[in-house]
This record gives sequence, C-alpha cells and structure tokens, in this order.
Amino acid sequence: MDDYLTLADLAQASGLPARTIRFYIARGLLDGPAKAGRGAAYTAEHLHRLERIKALQAEGRMLADIAHTLDDGSAHASTAEPTAWWQHVVADDVVVWVRADTSPWRTKQVRSAIDEFAGRLQTNGGNDQ
Amino acid sequence: MSSAGLSFAPVAAPTGVPLQLAMQRLWLTGRVLSAGARLTVMHVFRSGENKPLEVVYSFPLPRDAALRSFRITGDGFEAHSELKPTEEAVKAYEQGIAAGSLSTLARQYGDGLINLTVGNIRPGETVTVYLDLLAGVEAHDGGFRFRFPFTLAPAYHSRMKAARVAAGEGEMELPANEFGDLILPRFREDAGSLHEVGFDLSVLHQLPVAEIGSPSHSIRVQQDGIAPVHVFLAPEKDVPNRDLVLDLAFKEAVPEVLAGEVDGKRTFAAIVPSTAFGKATEAPRRTVIVVDRSGSMQGEPIAQARKATEACLAVLADNDSFGLVAFDDRVESMSDSLLPGSRETREKARAFLAQVDARGGTELAKGFLEAARMLGGEGGDVLILTDGQVFGSEQILGQARAAHIRLFCLGIGSASQDRFLSLLARETGGVSRFVTARERVDLAAVDLFASMGRPVASGLKSTADVSPEPAAAVFAGTPVVLFGQAETDWIELTWDSGRLSLPVPSGDSDTGHTVRLLQGSRLITDFESRYASEEALAPIEKRKQSRIAARLAELSRTYGLASREMSLVAVVKRAGDRPGELPETRVVPVGMPQDTRFGAYFGAPQSGASAYMATAIMASALAAPSPMAAMPAASPRRAGSILARARFTLFGGESSRPTAPPPPSVEDELMELAAQLESDGGVPGHNASDRAARSVAAVLAFVEAGNTVSTGTFRSHVSRLVAFLKSMEGLSRDQQSAVERAIEAASTGRAPGHDWLALARPDRVKWSRIEARLNTTA
Repeated sequence: MDDYLTLADLAQASGLPARTIRFYIARGLLDGPAKAGRGAAYTAEHLHRLERIKALQAEGRMLADIAHTLDDGSAHASTAEPTAWWQHVVADDVVVWVRADTSPWRTKQVRSAIDEFAGRLQTNGGNDQ
Repeated sequence: MSSAGLSFAPVAAPTGVPLQLAMQRLWLTGRVLSAGARLTVMHVFRSGENKPLEVVYSFPLPRDAALRSFRITGDGFEAHSELKPTEEAVKAYEQGIAAGSLSTLARQYGDGLINLTVGNIRPGETVTVYLDLLAGVEAHDGGFRFRFPFTLAPAYHSRMKAARVAAGEGEMELPANEFGDLILPRFREDAGSLHEVGFDLSVLHQLPVAEIGSPSHSIRVQQDGIAPVHVFLAPEKDVPNRDLVLDLAFKEAVPEVLAGEVDGKRTFAAIVPSTAFGKATEAPRRTVIVVDRSGSMQGEPIAQARKATEACLAVLADNDSFGLVAFDDRVESMSDSLLPGSRETREKARAFLAQVDARGGTELAKGFLEAARMLGGEGGDVLILTDGQVFGSEQILGQARAAHIRLFCLGIGSASQDRFLSLLARETGGVSRFVTARERVDLAAVDLFASMGRPVASGLKSTADVSPEPAAAVFAGTPVVLFGQAETDWIELTWDSGRLSLPVPSGDSDTGHTVRLLQGSRLITDFESRYASEEALAPIEKRKQSRIAARLAELSRTYGLASREMSLVAVVKRAGDRPGELPETRVVPVGMPQDTRFGAYFGAPQSGASAYMATAIMASALAAPSPMAAMPAASPRRAGSILARARFTLFGGESSRPTAPPPPSVEDELMELAAQLESDGGVPGHNASDRAARSVAAVLAFVEAGNTVSTGTFRSHVSRLVAFLKSMEGLSRDQQSAVERAIEAASTGRAPGHDWLALARPDRVKWSRIEARLNTTA
C-alpha cells in the first residue's frame, strides 16, 4: 500500500468531506499535506488526527476547544490558565462542577439537570432507608 | 446601478487600517412584484493574501426562495453555473479545486441555509459572483412586505454547541448527522468591520402605489408615476446585522393577476384580498397564545411579546375561551385547560405574563404541543409570538403537522426566520407575520389575533390548474395567492359561501417566466420543509427510495431551480492553474442580529483562550462610553455604526445620553384603551351610565383612527364595543341618540367630530361633553 494519501483518499477514509478537511487545516486542527503542490499528499497521521477530532466532537467538544486539546504546546499552556467553575454540592457525598461562564440558557439547563439529579439522589436515599 | 463602481475599502474603525476581508461587498438588486421577487445578489470576493483562498459564505434563504443560477466574473473571464445533482456538483467542485481551477459551489442544507463556496481565488485577485434567486413576499390585503436577510441569525438547537471564541466573536456548531458539512459563519457582535451591504431594487406594480417604506433601513424612492418604482439604500453602504424589510401599500385592496405565456400556456399568479370573500362570523373562539421566552428574546423582543399578548387578551369576550403558555426549554401554562375570557381570568393572565422573562433554549415544539393538549382535539387556533430562532425546523414542522392545530405566527426580530415561520403557519393552515422588534409588535399581534378563529372563507377551489393547492381557509387581512396555468381568459374561485371570477390578462412572457419561477420556488420550499434532515443526508442509494428526494429532483429539473437534491456549480479553467495547491479556507463572518444579544448565545470562551478573553473583556469594558452603559440593555446601536448615522438622518437627531421617554403616541393610547375592555365589551367606569359614555367615546376614537367593525387593527375591539352599546338599557333619549350615532360610525367608518380619544379618558368623559361634541358637528 502506498504510504501517501491524496485529499480525496483522506476524505474517503475519514468519512469527512474534502472541504471540511481543508477547513480543519485552515483552523490549525490538522497539519497541511506532507508534500505540497501537484501530488499533495497526506499520511496515516492525518487520518489518525481526523479520527481523534471526530471522537472529541462526539464528546460534545467544539473545534476551538479541540484545537487546544490536540495541540500539545497549547494544552500544556492552557493548564496554567485560570477558569471559573461553580461547585454544586448535590449531596453530602456528591459534588458537581460547572463552568461559570457559559451562556445564560446553558446555565439554566445545567442547573435544572442538577436539581433533577439532586432530587433523584434524595429519592434514592429515601428508598434505601 | 450603484454597484457599478467597486470602490470598497473596509477599514478597522479604531485604527483606520484596511481590513483583509475575504468577502468585501454584498449588493442586492432585482425586481419585486406582488407575488414574489426575482433577485440577483452580487458578492465581491478578494484574496488579499499571498496564497489562493477558498471562501465560504453562509446565508439563509428568504421565504419561499430557491437559487436559480450564478455567474462568476473576474479579470478576463466569465462563467455560468450548471445545475447538477448535489453529489455530482460537489464532485465537480472538488475536481476543480484539485486541478487548481477557480471553482464555485452553491449548495443548500436544512433550514434553507446555503453555503456559497468559492475556491482557488488567486492572490490579489477579485472575483464577483452574481447569484440569481427567487423569493416570496409576505402578502397583506392591499400590499406586501418584502424581506431579505443580510445576516444569519444564530439559533437554538438542542444539540448545538456555542461559545465565544474571541472578544465579540462567537462560534456555533451543529450536529453533523443532521446538518452534514454545513459551515456556519462566526457571529460578530460588531458588524461595523464586516463586508458592506446595500440594495437597489425595482418594484413592479399593476395597482397604484400609496406608500413605500422600510422599518429596517433608510431608503430612497424614485417614482415618476410609471412603473417600476426604484428603491435603494439612502446611505452609500450599510452593515450586515439585520434584514432588509420593505413595505408597499397599494391605494386599494383589489384582486391582481400577473400572467404571461410560457411554453404555450398562460401562467398566472393571482393575489386575491380577503375582502373579496366576505366577512367573518362572530362565533366564540378557542385560542391559545404561546409566548417564546427563550434567551434570544431578551430585551426588547420579550417586552414587545408581553405587551402584544396583553393587547390580544383585551379582545376576549366571556364566551371565548383561551389559554396562555410560555416556553423556553421548559413549558409553563397559566392553567391546565382553557379558561373563559372573563375579567378575572384575564387579570390572572396578566399576572402570569408579568413573570415571563427571557431565559433558556427555544423548544418551540414543546410550546405548541402544550397548546394542542389544551385545545384537546376540539379545534381552535394558536398564536405563537417568537423570534423563530431555531435550527432543525423540518422536525418542528413535522410535529406541527401531526398536532392538527392551526398556527398563527408572529415573528419578532431583525434577522429573518421568516422562511420557517411562514412555513409553520402555512403548513398548519394559519397565517404568519414577521415584524422587527422596533415596530409596533402589539399592533401587529392585535391585527393577527383579530383574524384568528373566524375564517372569511373555507373550502376554496379554483377551476384553473393551481399548484400548490390553495389554503383551506381564508382569514381577514391576508390575501389568497395562487399560482397556476389557465386554459381560458378567466379563472373561477368557489368557496363554501360564494364564487368569484377573475380575468387573466395575456400579459407578457417575461412576467409569465417570473411567475413560473416563483411557483417553482414555492413548490420546492414546501417539499424541502417535509424533507427530514436524516433522510436528506442519507447515501444516494437510500435517497433514491425517498419520495421527497425524487420530487425535489424533479421540481429542480422542471423549474431549473436548486434544492437540497440539486446544486449549482461552475469551474473556470485558466492558464496558470496550479493543480494540487491547497487553498486556505476562510469563512465569512456575519453580524449578530441587531436585537439579539450576543451573550444570549455566546457565553464561555473555550479553554486555552481564557487569559486572552479576560484581557479582551476588560479592554472592551473600559472602551465602552459610559452613556451607552446607562442606556436600556435592549439598545444594540453603537454611535459609530452606519445604522446609527442612518437613524440620525432619519429621525433628525438621536442623543447618546438617556432621555425621558417620549410622550405616548395615538397608537399607544388606543392600545391602552383596547386593553381596558371588560369581558362584556365595554370600557370600565363608575356606573353603567359612565361606562356607556366612555364606550361611545372609545368607539368614536377607534373609528377616528381608521377602524370599523370589519376593518382596521382594532376591528375586534370596535365590534365588541358595539355589542356592548347595543345591550345598554335605561339611557335617556339624548344618550340613546349618541349611542346610535357611535354604532353607525362603527359601520360607516365616518366619525363625527374629532379628538375623541381625549374624551375617552376616564377623567374627561361626561355625557354632556359627548353630546355637545356630537351636536356641534352634526
């Protein structure tokens, strides 16, 4: 098997359209081709990276976030950046952390889910007794 | 055409440094008719970089719209698009990109979203894409509203991801299994640094025009008495942060038939005002008002929705029943079931409304499904007040069709979800209106609410070959629009209680072709709305089994218009093309809609960007002028924006400092009067005589402002006041005479005397004053 892939091959193998792959390259999520110009070529590393991007997206991560996670240097730097989080003690033995700076309706949604979660824990606790 | 000179040079406002925008200019031209518009949108793309670019511009289609073709031009070349099955178009585009050729693809996705992608723009090169499309208009009796989106509103989807990625810039991502490879733009809080937009339109009309205006833009109108009327942007350019909204009113509301020969057949569009069908009956009504309280409604839109709902409640009578629902991602109802329209329940409704603030996501289906539950399968109408900012609308439309309720939609917002809300109303047999948050939303709501529950005609049929099928019911204020082919010089309409013959002129072939294209774009829009996203994204082998896919492809071929099944593509092979060179992808950002708060969608920066964001937020907070910070939070205008200047010109001055609220307008006072109506239809007062006196003054105040029992925004209120006055007993002869003259005025539309509004105020009203004013003007 040839070690190099064309963009069309990479699109076929990853299941992502070629335009999406170019978009990822422009956003710095993926390196450009290993060989440029006529016969531009991609490697198994590109395919592997695309699979990781897809997996992180499936976890609900945004591309801007994924770029930082995948980029080792930035990931290292980002660990030093402070972020604000709310701590919700939903039971004596359970704590839920939520980012403090999400959009208002996301905050409401999360709080509603936490209320429900806390309620269920209390109900279950009652049932156990 | 004002777009001829391409003297564009956008600069960063704070520094004056020229910006390297991938798309520099967007200019709308074309012809607008009563039945729809035939438009050309010019997009100027430029690569200011030392490498080839691939530029993606995303935009939403207007209502009932479809792309027809595009032409791409540049230094020494011009090429035209081909309409191909989407897979083939994408393949041709990718082959063109791989060969280093300038390639352009216009592809439609769910929700009527388009990605216009232009790849391999060479360094320093300027290319222009002229995109032709057809679009519908919001028809009213005696006129229409034309809307064109200059930006794309962010919208809610239960599985969307949204975040602020830089100061004043937000990103949104939608699930790929529902939206495929659609690329959304970045949403920029300050649209002032984006591409410039403008318009230059001709309005073709058969009927004499009374008025043309725009609540969105400062316009100039050239009218020499002979069609067409020329309407264009008054300032040199504008920013992409709101729709263009144009209103046209004819001098009279009469049927209009546009026609012309196409392939030997007389193709026509007939616009028949509701007044041609008769009057609505005064039967009791079962209605539910559904208010969108999602986060995107924050500020002016939710305030307007509350006010509009209160005004609608005032129309209710004792024998009407109603419900009130507020939704975001949760649903709250005022009651479990419908309530009578009594004074007590309406007071309860006002108390319920007072606690409705904007929050949460837009689970629109939850809202109307709760309304459907309250109506309990016994019929009734639902009024939804919403900004309509949702993605995944096809699924919502499917739920609405299955709910068997008639939805009336009042859209509120500066960026259009008009396509979705017009479909939601039409597909359920209702009517939609879309107003900007800076207009009188309450007036629009009262007008729409007055037509609900009481069709002026049902069972409409036509002798001509009409497609799509006409609506089952006709409502006051909204004309019937029919597209079809006529075998003879006449088409005949029949309905349950009447018939009407309309002459079909021979017209001209240009009008005929336009009408046929508008018919095609309407049919494609209807079928697109039934095409579930999962189905639309299935592999081609599976899609071949889809009835909707087959019908869409057939419609696209028949009418020569794009759809999700057929896309537009062009590849320009030129000397010097460099195969294999990877273009740099740039996505054109758009402006946040004027009345949607940035923070409603875009909260957190992603991890890793936090330090930068903290700095940026601090910088912007320091830069914000203090008077702006003190202004009502709903005001998104910035002093330096083109819009702010335009408003300055329009209204003759606008202080950046907070000012005292303006005195109430006549409309404000009428609305307040309307909201006071008791459930028996009369105005409150100390005793029966006092109530009768105020009600006489109120009727005459409404008539003076152009309302009667059957026409005008407050027609329902006038009708209820008249019913109240007719029920009055024990009045003196003079008082009875005054009552009769008020009732007569409510029918003829001629109010004796003037300034009745002042007399309708509680502290002013006295029988002696009313009689004196009536007598002096008798």
